Amino acid sequence: MANYLLAMATYAGLYALMALGLNVIWGLAGMINLGLAGFFAIGAYTSALLTVHLHWPIAAGCVAAPAVAAAAGAAVALITARLRGDYLAIVTLGFSEVIRLVASNEIALTGGTDGISNIPGPLRGVLDPTQFNLLSLTLVWVVVAAAAFLLARLSASPFGRVLRAIREDETVAAVAGKPVLRLKVQAFMIGAAALGLAGALYAHYNAYVAPDAFQPLITIYIVLALTAGGTGRMAGAVLGAVLVIALTEGTRFLAAALPFLGAVQVAALREGLIGLMLILVLMLRPEGVLRERPRIRAPEAG
Amino acid sequence: MLRAERIVCGYGSADEILKGADLAVAEGEMVAIIGPNGAGKSTLLKAVAGLLPLKSGAVLLDGVPAHALPARERVRRGIALVPQEANVFPTMTVRENLEIGGFIEPQAVAARADALFARFPMLAEKRRQAARTLSGGQRQVLAMAMALMLQPRILLLDEPSAGLSPKAAETLFDVIRTLHREGRSIAMVEQNAHEALTIADRGVVLVDGRTARHGPAAELAADPQVRRLFLGG
Amino acid sequence: MIRVLQLVADGVMAGATLAVPAIAFNTMYAVLRFPNFAISGLATIGAFAGYAANVWGGWPAPLALGAAFVAAALASVACELGALRRLRRSGPLAAAVASVALTILLENVVRFGFGNELRGYDLPVFRDWRLGPLRLNPQEIENAACALVATAALFLFLGFTRTGRMMRAVADNPALAALKGIDAGAVAVLASLLGGGLAGFGGMLIGLDASIDPLTGFRVMLSIFAAAVVGGLGSIPGAVLGAVVVGVGEECSLLLLDPAYRSAVGFLAILLVLSFRPRGLLGERAW
Repeated sequence: MANYLLAMATYAGLYALMALGLNVIWGLAGMINLGLAGFFAIGAYTSALLTVHLHWPIAAGCVAAPAVAAAAGAAVALITARLRGDYLAIVTLGFSEVIRLVASNEIALTGGTDGISNIPGPLRGVLDPTQFNLLSLTLVWVVVAAAAFLLARLSASPFGRVLRAIREDETVAAVAGKPVLRLKVQAFMIGAAALGLAGALYAHYNAYVAPDAFQPLITIYIVLALTAGGTGRMAGAVLGAVLVIALTEGTRFLAAALPFLGAVQVAALREGLIGLMLILVLMLRPEGVLRERPRIRAPEAG
Repeated sequence: MLRAERIVCGYGSADEILKGADLAVAEGEMVAIIGPNGAGKSTLLKAVAGLLPLKSGAVLLDGVPAHALPARERVRRGIALVPQEANVFPTMTVRENLEIGGFIEPQAVAARADALFARFPMLAEKRRQAARTLSGGQRQVLAMAMALMLQPRILLLDEPSAGLSPKAAETLFDVIRTLHREGRSIAMVEQNAHEALTIADRGVVLVDGRTARHGPAAELAADPQVRRLFLGG
Repeated sequence: MIRVLQLVADGVMAGATLAVPAIAFNTMYAVLRFPNFAISGLATIGAFAGYAANVWGGWPAPLALGAAFVAAALASVACELGALRRLRRSGPLAAAVASVALTILLENVVRFGFGNELRGYDLPVFRDWRLGPLRLNPQEIENAACALVATAALFLFLGFTRTGRMMRAVADNPALAALKGIDAGAVAVLASLLGGGLAGFGGMLIGLDASIDPLTGFRVMLSIFAAAVVGGLGSIPGAVLGAVVVGVGEECSLLLLDPAYRSAVGFLAILLVLSFRPRGLLGERAW
């Protein structure tokens, strides 16, 4: 039981990190990103491959992963940053699916649906499971704290202010001489890097990565974490992640209380509840997830 | 017939473009609404039409309060707004535009559309063309014809000549003059204060969200202050 | 050469089937002004409603297709009235995110009721026809015919009925439509009903060809988006054209790529179109 709780707390940390990344892309820069699972996957596979096949040290893997994810983020952003949100939504959703397709099919590279196993973890062979869990938990939350601190500073910095201005009204910002495209790409890269780092940490903690772990449902978890906690504030992202893990794991116990359900039905119930919860949170937060332009615009002349 | 009293409204919760504007249009009368940019002229028409909620004030049609009604309902009661921009359905044909204009009275649509085609032969010529292929002036005529489909009690025209060449604007004002002669009640916002005060019976000067002056059009046109501010001296 | 012709023929058939959910997506986009990602969940609902009607109820294919349409239409209206209507007021992106959550919810409702196994309809299996050197599957041809009928019906409805004109008016200029007395809320429900129904109808058509499982709608998701974007978001004829282009593209990709990457072709098509002709082949006109 203790190990279970430690593991859940670790996962909460991973989601917190990803929610923080999302907060930069959505909360600060106002860009929709439905492909979060894809960047998470890229980070996880990068670090897994480097440490398992090329025998890089874990720390190096954890540096390469966010870098690669950021590069992917830059590519996606460059193609879509000038487009309307609808297109960005479609492209990011598609991106995440393509990543999963590649992961499932490039067997030589990624092990296909079998995935990559035996990924090294920090001192895994040396410590007993509880100690390993404690160490991982600590490491993950140290990273989360550092990220929260850095991103909060970023948010308060001139960079953060410009991003918020772009989110409010891109045209005005552009006319004021701000390099809008470059700033949006940078914001996207930072968010993608956070997601990629979370992926690497996940790979080393879990010792195993497989395409099934990177479904759109993960994206929904992250969005739920951010919206439940309150968009725009870094502390909110962390709080939301803890809430999401509590909810998702809580449903596991709920399902156990309904013994007449089969395993597939339990899984369906849990996933369905997550979807439902996000819809409810979205409806109950009147200010909305993304601060979008109000429907009625004031006229130019009276 | 139509009265707007002490209208206060804006576009957002903190916004207040109109700070207590008044408007009155008697049966068969044409009122010109003039004033500087940003005074709230278009906003006033939108408030009367029901596109904007009022923070305070009243809109009365024949003495009956209308300000709680949604735009749809006001259309039914006979308040027809012709917006300044985006006032036609661009991908639909001229005929279809008229049909949508008469949407809430389907039985009368065919007859009234034919009558309007007879009255505006230019529209009849282009009846199968998409509205966006029309020139600016033609579009304005179409927009007005759409409003006429419902045989409204009052026409609210928001800067009908905006963006039109002088010739097209002249043609349009001819149409408006004819409508006025036929006894239509019209409230018209116009940048071209001179033309507006020439055609209209009465005028309202809106400044900074409030009604600054109102009275017979000829009087306002002769008034030295009005002349200086809006009529080029 | 024959191989290429065969692939093109297969692609046109696949495209015709894909056209139905693509039209659904674009119709809803045109009227409701947001990308409704619930389309893939609705397709799955339709496929399984048709299955229930056909396999449990013993209904023949046409009636089962009707059941697919109705079930998905009702689900779609429930989504609209229950959640999307309120969220659209905050803006299209809030609704888009909710629609992803909805698709997950719908998929899991199906999974809860039917489990994960593959299921097939209880319909006669036809042998392939030979048209010269080409092999054509009668089921696919039937699908294409159904798709054509559905498309034509929608086209006629939008073009020649008062209600259809009303919907086009809202798609064209929602503010003006409201000003002319059109009830935007009612039109939104109607668009959800039609779009959802078509998505469900299309879902069953896709399943008729092979088998269905809760991921049926999800698997074609990328291809549907590709068809919609390639043809022009919000354009109904564009959806048809886009679907054929994507269908042919996916089949011809078999010459170069692993079959598993077919969906990726859709994604590539989206990127290409957005880079070079962002408004799609037929622009963003609804009709």
